[in-house]
Amino acid sequence: MTGEPIVDVTDLQVHFRVRRGLVGYQTVRAVDGVSFTIAAGQTLGLAGESGSGKSTVARSLVRINQPTGGSIRVGGTETARLRGQDLRAYRRRMQMVYQDPYDSLDPRMSVLEAIGEGLAVRGMARAQRRAATEDLLRRVNLPVSLTSRYPGQLSGGQRQRVSIARALAVSPEVIVCDEAVAALDVSIRAQVLNLLKDIQADAGVSYLFISHDLSTLRFMADQVAIMYVGRLVEYGTSSQVFGQPQHPYTKALVAAVPEITATGRTGRTRLTGEPPNPADPPPGCPFHPRCAVAIDICKTLRPTLRRKVGGQFAACHVAPDEAPAVSSQGATPGTPGAEPGPAIGTPSSSEVSA
Amino acid sequence: MTAPLDQHLPDPAAVPSEAVSDPELIAAGLAAEPTLTQPGLGRRTLESLRRDPVALISVLVVVCLAIVAIFAPELAPYNPLHAFPNGLAADGAPVHPDSTFLLGTDPNGRDVLSRMIFGARVSLLVGVVATGLASIIGIIIGGIAGYAGGVTESILMRLTDVVLSFPILLFCIALIAITGPNTRNVVLVIAFGYWTYLARIVRGLVLSLKEREFVTAARTLGVSHAKILRRHILPHLVPAIIVYSTLGVATSILIEASLSYLGIGVPIPQASWGQMISQGQEYFQTAPWLLIAPGVALIITVLAFNLAGDWLTDLLDPATAEIGR
Amino acid sequence: MVAVEHLTVAFPARTGGGEVVRDVSFAVNPGERIGLVGESGSGKSMTARAIMQLIPKPGRVASGRVMLLGTELGADPKVAASSWRGTTLSMITQDPLSSLNPLVRIGTQMTEMLRFHRGLGRAAATARARELLASVGIPDPARTLSQFPAVLSGGMRQRVALAIAVSCEPRLLIADEPTTALDVTIQAQVLDLLERLTAEQGSAVLLISHDLGVVASFCDRLMVMYGGRIVESGPTAQIIGAPAHPYTRALMASVPSMTGDLPDRLASIPGSPPAGGVWSTGCAFMPRCPIARAVCATVDPALLTLSGAAEPAAGDGAASQGAADQGAADQGAADQGAADQGAADQGTGTDEAVQHAAACHASQNESWGRAA
Repeated sequence: MTGEPIVDVTDLQVHFRVRRGLVGYQTVRAVDGVSFTIAAGQTLGLAGESGSGKSTVARSLVRINQPTGGSIRVGGTETARLRGQDLRAYRRRMQMVYQDPYDSLDPRMSVLEAIGEGLAVRGMARAQRRAATEDLLRRVNLPVSLTSRYPGQLSGGQRQRVSIARALAVSPEVIVCDEAVAALDVSIRAQVLNLLKDIQADAGVSYLFISHDLSTLRFMADQVAIMYVGRLVEYGTSSQVFGQPQHPYTKALVAAVPEITATGRTGRTRLTGEPPNPADPPPGCPFHPRCAVAIDICKTLRPTLRRKVGGQFAACHVAPDEAPAVSSQGATPGTPGAEPGPAIGTPSSSEVSA
Repeated sequence: MTAPLDQHLPDPAAVPSEAVSDPELIAAGLAAEPTLTQPGLGRRTLESLRRDPVALISVLVVVCLAIVAIFAPELAPYNPLHAFPNGLAADGAPVHPDSTFLLGTDPNGRDVLSRMIFGARVSLLVGVVATGLASIIGIIIGGIAGYAGGVTESILMRLTDVVLSFPILLFCIALIAITGPNTRNVVLVIAFGYWTYLARIVRGLVLSLKEREFVTAARTLGVSHAKILRRHILPHLVPAIIVYSTLGVATSILIEASLSYLGIGVPIPQASWGQMISQGQEYFQTAPWLLIAPGVALIITVLAFNLAGDWLTDLLDPATAEIGR
Repeated sequence: MVAVEHLTVAFPARTGGGEVVRDVSFAVNPGERIGLVGESGSGKSMTARAIMQLIPKPGRVASGRVMLLGTELGADPKVAASSWRGTTLSMITQDPLSSLNPLVRIGTQMTEMLRFHRGLGRAAATARARELLASVGIPDPARTLSQFPAVLSGGMRQRVALAIAVSCEPRLLIADEPTTALDVTIQAQVLDLLERLTAEQGSAVLLISHDLGVVASFCDRLMVMYGGRIVESGPTAQIIGAPAHPYTRALMASVPSMTGDLPDRLASIPGSPPAGGVWSTGCAFMPRCPIARAVCATVDPALLTLSGAAEPAAGDGAASQGAADQGAADQGAADQGAADQGAADQGTGTDEAVQHAAACHASQNESWGRAA
């Protein structure tokens, strides 16, 4: 990773106020102190189940949801609190591809008009838009004849490619893919994933790739972050997190993925219970009610992200630390230059850089 | 064991496992894409009309009405305001329908058929203009309320509720009592009472449209609010507006007829079906056609507009829905 | 026990054709776990609904039949569907909120089933319902009985749906995409539950999914559907180990795995799955097939067994028109009452009755995609 990361998120908080009962309000901490970075031309995968807050992170990055706290720096510029004209200018640098290929395109606009909208934002004159649109369609491997078609005449895979072309129209530096292939047929997913990789190699775009499907993430992402109830529980490279998961939740997630080569279902450790209500998470480590290896301290003290054996960061009291001074189980000293984590006991944000 | 290959498929040995950049394969792949072409709106209109005779008749009636209204002066055999000397029988009673006066005459000796034709013009004029006006007001208010949300929405919607709670007819009566009966006031009064319905519908539609992903996508692209309203939201309102308008015309015609019936609608010498019904009431025993003609015309007109509105709803709804997989 | 014979389901289409299930035949033996894999337009869901005689209105069974314990379903109008639906055959679907009435309390829905089918009194039915809820792992059964479905999470609702489905001890449980809408850890729980419940009662399971991993890890036997037809069928281990049909191979090669080497790019299949209904002559997969040949455009391949069950090299599904097939022409004839092959965890050796069959003209000697 050379130089400054293109995306630098520190202690992102997104809280919602939800009405409870007739008059009362309750704060739902959908995202509660998340920090990560994305280097130029790299992909950060964000995984988690329902209620984890991963979609909220994605949407606050493109300012669909407004961050309640924390900082988002894109290419060095602080963007979390931009408004008005500045916000519009920022929007071009960060685009999003959505989960639903059927709703993310206006059914009444032709492909030419849809992509043209993006080009117009870039300030391109109408006369040049057709050529530029055809260019973009070629980049996403769609035939140029599709310009006159309407979304209703396209298949799911084609629609998703048009969405990608539209996102590329403004030449963004980062594209957030929010479950971009989840709604596509299995045989089409590979096409779109390959396309995304090609675009990244070509244009140097960075991706924040959100998915609940771990095997897709393993293929797409260089770095992976696992979220649980609004916080990061594990963060490292793809091979670290999937190859040697440190956090019990990550382990359970990996074990739960049905593999084609699996021979039967017995003998796999199963996670019991359900994800907690984000409005009312358990005290201490929010995972402790479902954790097979929880110890006493897990019920009262919320763990912070610390570098663990294996190199990645995990928020767990039980997983052995890399830094020798503060582990509970005697860690092996890891790679040189390991940073000591923040002091134990700070329930607020944790600073992480990759 | 590879058999000789078909001409237009590439040799598998030469094709890498992912060959999307190969134009031939794209073409082949595209040939495999489902051709989801939906027949155009015109085609579907004709087809659905053919299948639904009731709708077909309603639409024809509406069209005929429009023709009659537009070409009233050419179509009417006589001047509707002219009291014919031979229009009244010896004892002063209106003349029965005969070869001269196809629908007879009214107590003033005027030709009923001509008055019916010009009455159609009044009805349609009032109906269309009043509904058009109401639509514009309703769209603006409902659209702003739905899109802006917050305090603006609350204020506008409370305003709508207030106007909505006026009983329209009484309200119209009161207004006209103050301003005096004339066609322009009738139109204004109906529009004023009627915009609220469309405002509510539009607000609801805009609220749900705001949440749709393509609107979010436009915002993320950085498109301005004005452009979003114009290019993304407004076109989706068109079906609802069309349907509302059709039904609105029917209602407006009825309201106008009611007002004219009460004597506070279209001013006296002008022909209006409501007026004619009011007049015809007294003569029901002796000159039933005076009541039957405008009454039947009114029923048929309102029914036709309502049925045509129903048909339009069905026609336009699947058009806005995308073709699923 | 349940046999589907040459089933064709058609919907009226203006352009003719309109068949979403075409000449599908298979059988389910007692206690067996069969998987049906396919994407959208493959006809898998409609096959399930055809078995339950629940095809949505303009559609109908154009030909073929479904046999339950030797009797044809739907043939005799005097036999009410309620005599076997819910009791002998039951089904759970992807969205339990649509199979559970959102306006009726869960307890009422469960006891309604039990009282109607088993004639239990109110108290007995409630007690049994509570037992069932406990057996599916609902933490507070008594309270759940009085709740409405909407307050439960997706995983909980699916458990309730399962409880209702097994409440009358069905011989066959059809699960149509039961876990597609669930988180992966909840999916694992629900599948475990499905396994346990059906094993306890000895029910057979027909598991339908687009996710090959889910089906492969659960079922002893697999059927792959494409374009309304079964294109490959056989014991799970054989299909996974040595897929014969190019579609199956391509599907497996295009899904990234959690273990093993990661390719730079995924092997993908060009084009899209056909939208059901309009078929051209020949094999439905031909436009996307990397090894298609001239005959594939004109002749629709039949589902033929491969000889030499475990050996892909010797196996030969190559059938030009008119070639004799080796033995049973399709699964249906082969499985009369035979024990299932079993995957590694269960089988006591291979059974010749459950054969690996594929519908493809080309030979499967082509090494393409995942190695056997």
